[in-house]
Amino acid sequence: MSVHLLGIRHHGPGSARNVKAFLEELEPDIVLIEGPPEADSLLEWVAHEQLQPPVAILAYQPDQPQRACFYPFATFSPEWQAMLYAKQKNIHVRFMDLPLAHVFGLENEAKEKAEQELEQEEATQPDSLNNNTDAVVTEEEVTADLIPEQRRDPISMLAEAAGHDDGEKWWEHMFEYRQDQSEVFEAIHDAMAALRQELPRANDRMEKLREAYMRKCIRQAEREMFQKIAVICGAWHAPALREMPSQKNDNDLLKGLPKAKVACTWIPWTYSRLSYESGYGAGIPSPGWYEHIWEYPKDDGTRWMALVAKLFRERQHDTSVAHVMEAVRLANALASLRQYSRPGLEELNEATLSVLCNGEPIGMQLIRDELIVRNRIGAVPTEIPAPPLHADILRLQKKLRLPATADFKDYSLDLRKETDLERSIFLHRLLLLGINWGTTYETGGKGTFKEQWRLQWSPELSIDIIEKGNWGNTVEEATANYVTDKTRQAASLNEVCRLLEAAIPAELPAVIDMIIHAINNLAAASGDVLQLMEVIPSLVRISRYGNVRKTDAALVDGITYSMVDRICVSLPAACTSVAEDAAQSLLDLFYSMNDAVGLLQQEALSASWQQTLRSISGNQATAPVIGGYATRLLFDAKQLDEETLGKLFSVSMSLAQPAAVSASWLEGFLKGSGTLLLLDDTLWGMIYQWIEHLENDIFTQVLPLLRRTFSNFTSPERRKLGEKVRTGQVGSVHNQAVPGTINTDRAARGIPVIMQILGFTDPKLV
Amino acid sequence: MSEILRYHAEQLFAEELEELRKQDTGKKPHNWLLSPQSVVTYLVGGTLKNGFEVSAKYIGSRRLMEIAVATLATDRALLLYGLPGTAKSWVSEHLAAAISGDSTLIIQGTAGTSEESIRYGWNYARLLAEGPSPNALVETPVMRAMKDGKIARIEELTRIGADVQDTLITILSEKTMPIPELNTEVQASKGFNVIATANNRDKGVNELSSALKRRFNTVILPVPESMEEEIDIVRRRVEGFEKVMELPAEKPALEEIRRIVTIFRELRNGVTLDGKTKIKSPGGTLSTAEAISVVNNGLTLAAYFGDGQLKAADLAAGIIGAVVKDPVQDKLVWQEYLETVVKTRDDWKDVYRACRDLA
Repeated sequence: MSVHLLGIRHHGPGSARNVKAFLEELEPDIVLIEGPPEADSLLEWVAHEQLQPPVAILAYQPDQPQRACFYPFATFSPEWQAMLYAKQKNIHVRFMDLPLAHVFGLENEAKEKAEQELEQEEATQPDSLNNNTDAVVTEEEVTADLIPEQRRDPISMLAEAAGHDDGEKWWEHMFEYRQDQSEVFEAIHDAMAALRQELPRANDRMEKLREAYMRKCIRQAEREMFQKIAVICGAWHAPALREMPSQKNDNDLLKGLPKAKVACTWIPWTYSRLSYESGYGAGIPSPGWYEHIWEYPKDDGTRWMALVAKLFRERQHDTSVAHVMEAVRLANALASLRQYSRPGLEELNEATLSVLCNGEPIGMQLIRDELIVRNRIGAVPTEIPAPPLHADILRLQKKLRLPATADFKDYSLDLRKETDLERSIFLHRLLLLGINWGTTYETGGKGTFKEQWRLQWSPELSIDIIEKGNWGNTVEEATANYVTDKTRQAASLNEVCRLLEAAIPAELPAVIDMIIHAINNLAAASGDVLQLMEVIPSLVRISRYGNVRKTDAALVDGITYSMVDRICVSLPAACTSVAEDAAQSLLDLFYSMNDAVGLLQQEALSASWQQTLRSISGNQATAPVIGGYATRLLFDAKQLDEETLGKLFSVSMSLAQPAAVSASWLEGFLKGSGTLLLLDDTLWGMIYQWIEHLENDIFTQVLPLLRRTFSNFTSPERRKLGEKVRTGQVGSVHNQAVPGTINTDRAARGIPVIMQILGFTDPKLV
Repeated sequence: MSEILRYHAEQLFAEELEELRKQDTGKKPHNWLLSPQSVVTYLVGGTLKNGFEVSAKYIGSRRLMEIAVATLATDRALLLYGLPGTAKSWVSEHLAAAISGDSTLIIQGTAGTSEESIRYGWNYARLLAEGPSPNALVETPVMRAMKDGKIARIEELTRIGADVQDTLITILSEKTMPIPELNTEVQASKGFNVIATANNRDKGVNELSSALKRRFNTVILPVPESMEEEIDIVRRRVEGFEKVMELPAEKPALEEIRRIVTIFRELRNGVTLDGKTKIKSPGGTLSTAEAISVVNNGLTLAAYFGDGQLKAADLAAGIIGAVVKDPVQDKLVWQEYLETVVKTRDDWKDVYRACRDLA
């Protein structure tokens, strides 16, 4: 019976190669891998041909899906190679890290404790807003990483001892690029053992627990009479697993740990995510490069440079074979100057920069995106027992031919087509569910039958899907339940209307009925006419344009009409005794409301709206800005003739009124109509005369208010208005030709030429 | 004390080169005096095994120097590119000194540099008297470098006309220089290479043809990354200058150097060091080299006209001279900077007063 410890670096291509070679030579009968034991059942999928790395094990707490943890694997991950080997040889393979049930349990405990402390603190000191935010931050940190930061530090200490300044680089050249792999695990083991002696991390409870559990698993395997046990673990842990302390000790340590429920599944992962920090220790900066050296371990940079050259040529950047040769030579020269046996990514990059890019770093960005990170997404077999909602999404993705890709892809959907409409419905439903796979944006073209979508899959979406899984087993069901629930909880009309707007393209008839019902109730209960006015424009949009999507617009129509009626009834009262700034915000609503009513093209509604406007404009108690604006709207709608308008204007502008009121009325009256003022001589004349008759000191009082009104106009408008004032035109003055200066004889002589130019060839004229 | 104003790098640092050579265990390319590792050590400084201290010639990224040396070790030529005053010529001189022990094989590129000054010329008296013969040939530094397997330096490559530049192509790719008049050729010995420098700021430069560009590896020398780095450069160079010029003035106060570097950095980057205030940049490059010359200038003034101590007043004239290159535009920029930035700094009152008095 023998235990073989293989200390590795997660995602190290060299480690992966060594592990593979070592296992093939050793032929163990069981492989233990650092990973969550809950995921053991997932291991049977490893040899499945549709499970294409990069993939990750997603572990989550079913009752709290946001508490999740990923274990990503790429082809060049040693763990992946070990699993693959075990599955191909049909031997036992198990994960042996501390069960996530305990990890989550411990975290939950810590969190509860923190909350309790917080509560206590809150009890002692009432305003502790700051503490509150702090607590949120620490919670995230707890979930973010199980492995302490120090892991990289010890290696840089080793590197320093070896005379290198960068730990990462030293490790790569020492272990990852190494061709000769004999005794490499022994070497790593010794190095780590020395480090662990130098840097005891005695007080890290989590690490102690994890190592105790790993030892427990090894003992278990021994007890089961396996003869050759291969253990794959992070290099740092290897020494702790060799010197077995007493079994009792470990059992005591592991006794009575809190537990939480944990579920696991495979999900596709991406290289760009692999380059971040995630649940499996530090991220790797260059997954594309690692894949390259995994596939071509003997490459001295030639193949890599050829890839670079190909990429440059594709982007119309001239690159000759000679360039590639020179770059490879420079990279090798650099490597030998630095006393490495072969060029690493850094040397290759420096050579590329110097030879291919003429020293300009712009081109390097391209290489970074396309080659060094190389955004790839893995695949997961469809048969993997995914949560039902996830399975439904996969089914729909396949049916509607909307593959999940790591790079974004744009779709232009024509809603008149059956498939595109279905796609749109599907995407809208996901949006409603809060699964932000796609974003939609305005299309340039005319018409509303087109939708533009940009889809980009990211692994985090898997958590969102799992989280929403408790709402239903299909997208439709889940969306319906989710929206229904949200509607019930919504407090404001605005919120519900936004839901309605989002629900209509998602085609959920039952839900829409329910929402409309809710809106009706809320509208009836709402005393706030402003809230009603805010939602009207979006409702009107639905009722006018909803038809393209074959939704029944009549549903919305009814409620829109009744809401307009409601508004018309209560608006005049709402416009009285309002403060200046409240009046201003009301003014904006007026504008969109007026538009919306116009858009509805319902005579009865327009009429009652105009009636409302009239009563607002006629009411002396109305806020003057609104009064003025209402008057203008009426004038625009040709509901007032000049004479009535003149009368209204002079009443509002009469000297008996306080000047501020007059000016404010004027502001509303002239809102956004600089051009109108220029062209409409009636309007112009009225204002001109009013200002002309102002007393000097009143004029001074009014001036700031007038200035405010006029400053809303565009500067060409203002300039034109100024010019008009300077010429002193009052009332209607028409442009007239100046008579008496035309020499008819000379003019007549030009006529034939002009006729000829215009193409008339009347002989009489020529 | 000798009469020579400025010594070559290989003379000034002869001791260091000798020591490096003795300690050198690495493999030397043919005709190189030092191994590539030692050349890098010579440039960026370090301590040898026997404790001998090698001073840093280039202060900045070690990687750049490694690329430069590695390039010369392959048979590609090296093009040092960058703003004026980023130590291009300085690096090129020291590279040549360390590799070939000879930094004098140099051609200064100008608009008037002709093919004869790159390839070979003729001694016309001899040519007329004896006809074409090797004796009538006038060798250029490039030709001599080829024969001896040394490094040839070409300064300001982009100032040379494009047609003349291209004569380098055969030399660089085939390592040979044909002499059709004598029906012969000069073939380069091992160790021959070319270091060219070019700056990317000047107007009217001749872009390299892509055929020629292909034969060079480009290393862009950046302006110093951090304030501390720049101060370090200025201080070291000024101290070296003092030695050469035998100035009686006291050592430059770090504080004064810091202020000059601050002014230069701020004007160069168009923003104050704290990143809060935007300022206009003048037309000049305001390189580290200029900062060095301002301090030297100030030291000289202090030594011969002042009390021997470097004061703000000694520096003012130099600063203004370096900043104001265009009498109209730059003057406004400078005055604005003086009034908005310098004046508001409490401990900079003397600088402000000195500069205002001169303006």
